[in-house]
Amino acid sequence: MTKLVLLNNVDHKALRVITRRAAAYGDALMAAPTFPAEFRTIQGCYPIVFQKRADTGQFQPFALLGFEEGENLFLGKDGWEAHYIPMSVERLPFFIGGQRSSEPGGAPKRVIHIDLDHPRVSSSDGERLFREFGGTTDYLDRMNMLLDQLDAGMSATPAFIEALLAHELLESFVLDVTLKDGSENRLAGFYTINEERLRALDGTAIGALHAQNCLEPLYMVIASMAHLRDLIDRRNRRR
Amino acid sequence: MSKQVKRVVIVGGGSAGWLTAGLIAADYRRDPASDGGSALELTLVESPAVGPIGVGEGTWPSMRDTLRRIGVSETDFIRECDASFKQGSKFVGWVDGGAADHYYHPFTLPQGYGEADLVAQWQRAHATMPYAELVCYQPRLCEHGRAPKQVTTPEYAAVANYAYHLDAVKIGQFLQRHCTTRLGVRHIVDHVTTIESAADGDIAALLTAAHGRIEGDLYIDCTGIASLLLGAHYAIPLLPVREVLFNDAALAVQVPYAQPDAPIASHTLSTAQSAGWIWDIGLQSRRGVGHVYSSAYTSDDAAAEALRSYVAASLAATGAPAEGTRMAEALTPRKLSFQPGYRQRFWHRNCVAVGLSAGFVEPLEASALALVEFSATMISEQLPATRELMDLVAARFNDAFRYRWERTIDFLKLHYVLSQRSDSAYWSDHRAPASQSARLTALLSLWRHHAPSRHDFHRIEEIFPAASYHFVLYGMGFRPEPQAGAHAAARAEGYFSEAAALGRSMLAGLPTNRALLEHLKTHRLQKI
Repeated sequence: MTKLVLLNNVDHKALRVITRRAAAYGDALMAAPTFPAEFRTIQGCYPIVFQKRADTGQFQPFALLGFEEGENLFLGKDGWEAHYIPMSVERLPFFIGGQRSSEPGGAPKRVIHIDLDHPRVSSSDGERLFREFGGTTDYLDRMNMLLDQLDAGMSATPAFIEALLAHELLESFVLDVTLKDGSENRLAGFYTINEERLRALDGTAIGALHAQNCLEPLYMVIASMAHLRDLIDRRNRRR
Repeated sequence: MSKQVKRVVIVGGGSAGWLTAGLIAADYRRDPASDGGSALELTLVESPAVGPIGVGEGTWPSMRDTLRRIGVSETDFIRECDASFKQGSKFVGWVDGGAADHYYHPFTLPQGYGEADLVAQWQRAHATMPYAELVCYQPRLCEHGRAPKQVTTPEYAAVANYAYHLDAVKIGQFLQRHCTTRLGVRHIVDHVTTIESAADGDIAALLTAAHGRIEGDLYIDCTGIASLLLGAHYAIPLLPVREVLFNDAALAVQVPYAQPDAPIASHTLSTAQSAGWIWDIGLQSRRGVGHVYSSAYTSDDAAAEALRSYVAASLAATGAPAEGTRMAEALTPRKLSFQPGYRQRFWHRNCVAVGLSAGFVEPLEASALALVEFSATMISEQLPATRELMDLVAARFNDAFRYRWERTIDFLKLHYVLSQRSDSAYWSDHRAPASQSARLTALLSLWRHHAPSRHDFHRIEEIFPAASYHFVLYGMGFRPEPQAGAHAAARAEGYFSEAAALGRSMLAGLPTNRALLEHLKTHRLQKI
């Protein structure tokens, strides 16, 4: 269960957050949501794929971390074996929430929430959030910045998806992986860029995508697919 | 050289007219890249005064393919036509009229259909269980008010096979916008005053009050029951089927939901009455309910009374009983009379009838719009290049649709001949051997020993597949002679377990019909 509360330096003065990476802390994730502005960094480590969100049916890009539910192939004995952790994971257990403005008709304020039931939350172990006299720690400041970037990036995602769909650049793909041990695994329900369609687009369409800042992230997705091989190798090494 | 067929004129703008226009226009849509001459010129003339009649609000799964071919988005269609998802029909009170009497005719085929003798194993080991509920997961989804797909399922794709319930007036308007703005169909709103004949008897032109002469090479009569071209102008007789299907009148009402969040059934409810039956169709914003009956066996007043008490009881079941009675009393049913039957020919000279102008019978299995789709598709695919070839195509069309009408009538009749109801002469007269076709009588004898199969229905595009006959036959209590031996029993049992397991996982994963429809008001289904 999650128990989201508004973070404050009175109730949460002594709270700490464990930053080690392990399955016990909720890191056994098959995929992590990402957003176009993060693609450049993500494609350095992970394949970027698209999947429909179960609640809205709308497309969402993900960094692929494993081949089945609960499998994160980057999670080893010594933590997360990659030099970059997707922001949507890094920020846990913090969330951004809206708070009604104190002024009538004012825009809602963006405030930090924390999930008190998250396994990272501790009273004795990990990074402190607040200093002795209530000031925020560097750790919390960094989380705050991360949440801002994540929030801005996520809200830019629908326009990117819209552009891909308008040019019919998404297509579903099925990956059949035969592992060294002979077992066959199928990755289904994911979508990727239709490269043939992309190559066939004329200058006007490419210009429009460029003007919408969609071109660079698009090619980042294509480049990221090379990591599917790494993912299979990681899986083979585990068996 | 024989005259080319280049201009098609559709007369009538109801759901039949616009579905036909959409299907033909989409097929002949000019490739924007080529600048070749127009493939086909399509005009739809519609009288401003004639309103489309509001029956035929259920469809078949074929409608998904039809709409996709026409090129509309499923999300737009659902939003603009007050549409909802339909997974089949539930027949209540048809077998004996007892309290527990019901069965399903779902759209999904039995699990393992054609792979094992499901019927024999059902009879041998599960005879007390309803056939449809043993062999198919869909009745369970319907009982639980589930949608046939998820929010992540692409447009027109299904988890469980489905069709629609829709507002027949709105689909005409919806397709009109698409046909005129996207498919280049010319739309003329005017009265046709005169039908001008050529020397050879073809229709040469239509004269209109304000738009003068409209010429065509082929005229499609979508004028509804009036059948202005085929019936009135050409006097092609209607072959009456009242001796087989007695119903010739209907009273229809629109019923609001008792609460804004009341469940929306994802199946058509068809409840037998003493001289007819009541349809109950859940749209997004309201229910469409109607009593179709035989004027030879009951009066309009008695039929209206039966309709009111049905509506009151259905509202009482979900809301306050007093409120239900009050709402039911306030409804004013709209009456529709019809002569059940179909035209002796559908395509005559350069005129072909589609929709009610070709024929009409009670909407028991929602065949009206399906016949429109079949007709328009065949016209479009077989459209003769020249007038000379048209008579050959017409002969094939007439043969195909005479067969389809005969099969439709046999299939509807099947619902009546198997009933054990004895509460009125209406039901016992329906069982009189003279009231059914020789073909149906023969098939019923054969089916005592063999389940309906492709040997009984051998045309490529059968209107009702053998599986539909299974659902109705065994749902209605028909029991074939037991078969000797337990051939492949384990295989059939495997499929029964598969159906049950699929039912469980789908119940867990599918939203309710209402929840999905609410979701679609703010979110779109993806095209992929």
